[in-house]
Amino acid sequence: MIVAERKPIDEILGFLSKHQKIMLLGCGGCVTVCLAGGEKEVGILGSELAMARAKEGRPLEVVQRTIERQCDFEYFEGIRHEVKDVDAILSLACGIGIQTVAEAFPDKVVWPGVNTKFLGVNQNVGVWAERCQACGQCVLDKTGGICPVARCSKSIFNGPCGGSQHGKCEVSADTDCAWALIHDRLTRLGQVDSMREILPVKDWSHSRDGGPRKLVREDLTLESGK
Amino acid sequence: MSNGKDFQPKIVAFCCENSGWLAAEAAARLELGYPEKVELIKLPCSGKIDVLYFMKAMEKVDGVMILACQKENCKFLKGNERAKSRVLQTQRLLKEIGIEEDRVTIQYLAANMGNKFVEIVQNMYDKVRELGPNPGKVIK
Repeated sequence: MIVAERKPIDEILGFLSKHQKIMLLGCGGCVTVCLAGGEKEVGILGSELAMARAKEGRPLEVVQRTIERQCDFEYFEGIRHEVKDVDAILSLACGIGIQTVAEAFPDKVVWPGVNTKFLGVNQNVGVWAERCQACGQCVLDKTGGICPVARCSKSIFNGPCGGSQHGKCEVSADTDCAWALIHDRLTRLGQVDSMREILPVKDWSHSRDGGPRKLVREDLTLESGK
Repeated sequence: MSNGKDFQPKIVAFCCENSGWLAAEAAARLELGYPEKVELIKLPCSGKIDVLYFMKAMEKVDGVMILACQKENCKFLKGNERAKSRVLQTQRLLKEIGIEEDRVTIQYLAANMGNKFVEIVQNMYDKVRELGPNPGKVIK
């Protein structure tokens, strides 16, 4: 899931300082699961914004809506008639959703309400950890299902490095050494000998080095483009 | 900060049905009075309370409280602990927009504590009266 965190309230209030009526738009996807921008967070932030502005004597009308997903254009049709009447949209979606809102409503000011952090997993209540860097060329088949790109601080392909001590990374005592995890997991699977294979230098052209990426599946595309 | 003798704060008291609500009924049986602008809302457990409920209530009133079972006496084991953490989170949210965090509180009592119920409610009423009207009230 995409993990996000709500922006500081002062930053958000700064965005909205000149508006009298906004739409606070939540997303039913990843940010609902990571408790940053779903229906409940929309309600809480909506109250907070309305109270903060009431306290200043400059009321802010907050239209609260949450749609299925903000990363698909089709879900905006249900709110289009309401968007006409607001000064701006404050989106609690991830960076993808916020950009999609801006594209769907080109004449409307769109503000981000969250900081998009990483692609990760929910480890415990209130704890998330990064698991994937979307590098475009998965190597999990060679590393026992543990990603050295996202989980090794150096993203090295033949570890561990000299900074690995007692299963922890030199960057932080709270960070597991990905290569220690890979070693332990391959040992458990009886495949530790596969670590003798030297993995080649990673081809980063599949990642951001090739510029913004686009995926086109011709088996799915329609002539109309929609 | 005092805001005049005529200010009568509105307060919402969310009550666990196993303690706060029964204590309110006990107070009624004892014919004990408390300020009339205190609205009681029954919950199946204090753990049902949510930051969202507190915030929505605070849009309309001057103070909110949750009346929960005594510590380590929750029928659902950790409901009162969860309620406490939600009170703390709500206090953080109010503080960051400059609203006094004392307007939200949690108090613990048992079902037979009618006198204690009245004391808690009266203390909260007096405290909020001293604080004055909620400056962030959206719905007057």
